[in-house]
This record gives sequence, structure tokens and C-alpha cells, in this order.
Amino acid sequence: LLIAVFHYYANCQQIMTRTPLASRSFSHGKVETDEEFDARWVTYFSKPDIDAWELKKGMNTLIGYDLVPEAKILDSALRACRRLDDLASAIRILEAVKDKSGPHKDIYPYLIQELGPTLAELGISTPEQLGIDKL
Amino acid sequence: MTHQAHAYHMVDPSPWPLTGAVAALLMTSGLAVWFHFHSTTLMALGTVLLLLTMYQWWRDIIREGTFQGHHTPPVQKGLRYGMILFITSEVFFFLGFFWAFYHASLAPTPELGGCWPPTGITTLDPFEVPLLNTAVLLASGVTVTWAHHSIMEGERKQAIHSLTLTILLGFYFTFLQGLEYYDAPFTIADGVYGSTFFVATGFHGLHVIIGSTFLAVCLLRQIRYHFTSEHHFGFEAAAWYWHFVDVVWLFLYISIYWWGS
Repeated sequence: LLIAVFHYYANCQQIMTRTPLASRSFSHGKVETDEEFDARWVTYFSKPDIDAWELKKGMNTLIGYDLVPEAKILDSALRACRRLDDLASAIRILEAVKDKSGPHKDIYPYLIQELGPTLAELGISTPEQLGIDKL
Repeated sequence: MTHQAHAYHMVDPSPWPLTGAVAALLMTSGLAVWFHFHSTTLMALGTVLLLLTMYQWWRDIIREGTFQGHHTPPVQKGLRYGMILFITSEVFFFLGFFWAFYHASLAPTPELGGCWPPTGITTLDPFEVPLLNTAVLLASGVTVTWAHHSIMEGERKQAIHSLTLTILLGFYFTFLQGLEYYDAPFTIADGVYGSTFFVATGFHGLHVIIGSTFLAVCLLRQIRYHFTSEHHFGFEAAAWYWHFVDVVWLFLYISIYWWGS
């Protein structure tokens, strides 16, 4: 619990480099580390023949967690969108990230900055660039 | 007098399978005619023929079993298998619609906003009428079991009362669902949400009506002394069907109304 609390405040104070503790604290059995969590999700989206359903299911599960996904996970997901010719989902992922950040307004610009090269490479515009970030 | 050296029922020739098949043909081709030529005559004719077939075929079965004694234990066993297999096929029927619902809701497409419920859909509060409906059907499961025990114990009056109560609860459910359908803030045309909701709950509602009708026939038969405390398979079949309908509702409630909101 202390680790979770620490991560929460660290998150508030600095440019986010670590996600809050995503794995649950079981009373017994192995607890997944942040690195293992990230690696698992990067692997999930890296599947070469991932299909459209798996992409959307993965995103929905990921967004359901109490965290904002790391840049490397988002990068993997965006590349999966590219393989599936799904630009709509790619932009939606960016919107979801902004939404998940909640009151922590610094997370989204930071992640856009981190994903900059990938967005340029894959030709993905941000909602702001498209003017669809305002309702 | 002719005798048979076995306990099985060699059914007398009957026209109802043929009229049933003709009814199916007229209903389906009538559907096509309605789509293309805007006339409902053929379909209506088919439906009437279907209703007549059902009435007369099942009336004949009741005559053969209750009045002519053809439903010996092995024959009854066969009828039990038949009902179980039929209900199993209905389970698979609903499984398909649940598959469709989960396929759409576990991985919502960008067109829906990538979320479930989809953007723009106001779902029904699962803790309002849907919860009442759950209570109604669960209660009806209790009353139908009460009716069964009443029949087995020879309690005629109680059997009639509890069976009537079961049917009334069934009607109450249908009435409440009707109101919900009327007042729902979304329609069947509202994307995959509307489709999965109304097709799944719609077919369920149809099965409630079928089940209620089956139970009503049993009530009529109970009043007319058709059932004995040892032999009342028609009622058992109706009760099985009713429990099946109840279970389907529970799955619908948990999946679509509760989780899906």
C-alpha cells in the first residue's frame, strides 16, 4: 500500500516516468512488477497477426485499469493500429490517454512528446492537430 | 381387438406434420412476399395454419396420453428426452445472441467511441424495473415448484392457485417489459447496442409468452383432472421450460443490463 501511495504522489510531482502500481497486491502468489506488466502489454500488441477484435479488446482492458499506460505500450498499440489500417483507433487511443490522465494535465503532453517520432513515422495526427479535441 | 407385443406408441397416421410443414412454407415465402410486394396475406395464412396445427397436434397428443393410455413409462421417457433435447437446442439459440453481445461489447469499435456502452447510449438503470423483473421471474420459479409439489401431493386447490399465480407473474413480467420497451431511450436501430439488446431480450420475451401459454394449457388441464399425482409429464415439461426461461433472463440481466451498463 505504501508503494502505491508513494507512486501516486511521485506521479503528481514529476514528469511521469513510472506508472502507478497496476498489479494487485495478492495475499499469496507472485505479484507482477511494473516492468512485467508493461512487457506483457507490449507483447500483446506486438503480435504480428493481431486482429481487429484483439486490438479493441486489449485497449478496452488496458483503459479499464487504474493507470495511464506507458509510452512503450502505447507505441506498440499504435503500431498494431497501423498493421490493421485503423487510423480511427489510433487517434482514439490518444484521446483515451488524455482522458485517463484525469486531473494530471502534464501526463498527456509528455506522452505526445515521447510518442512524437512514432506519430510522425506512422502519420498519425493528434486530436488537437485535427481540431477535434474541443467538443 | 388388436394388441401390440411392446410398450411403445405407434402413432396413428396424422395430417398435422404436413399442415405444419405447409404452414412453415407459407410463412417463409409469405415473409418474402411481404418484403417485396407489401402484401401480408400469404404470411397471415401461414400463421393461421401454424396455430391450427399446433392446437390440433397437441390436442391429439393429450388425447393419446391422458385418455387412451398410450403414454407408458418408456413412452414418457422418450418424451422427457425430447423435451430436454429441445430445451438444449434453445440454449444454443440464445448462446448465439450472447456471443454477439460479448463480441460487440468486449471490443467496442471506433464507430461506438471504442467504449461500452457506446457513446450516446443512455442505458436502463439495472436496479429499477429490470431488478423487479428479476424478482418476478424468480418468484414465479418458486410458485411453479409449489404447483409441482401440490400436484404430486394431490392438493388440487393449491395446485390450481400456485399455477395461476405463476402465470400471473409471467404476465406481469411481460407487461413490465412492454413498458420498458415503450419507454426505452434507445431503439433496435441504435447501432449494435440496440441490436444486441432488443434481439436478445426480445427473443427472451417471446419465450416468456410461449412459456406462459404452455403453463396456461397445464392450468386448464389441471382443472379438468388430466393430471395424476404420479403422471403429469406435460406439467413437468412446462415447468422445465419455465425454469429455462428464468435462467436465460438471469444471464441477460447480469450480462446486458448490469455488466453492459
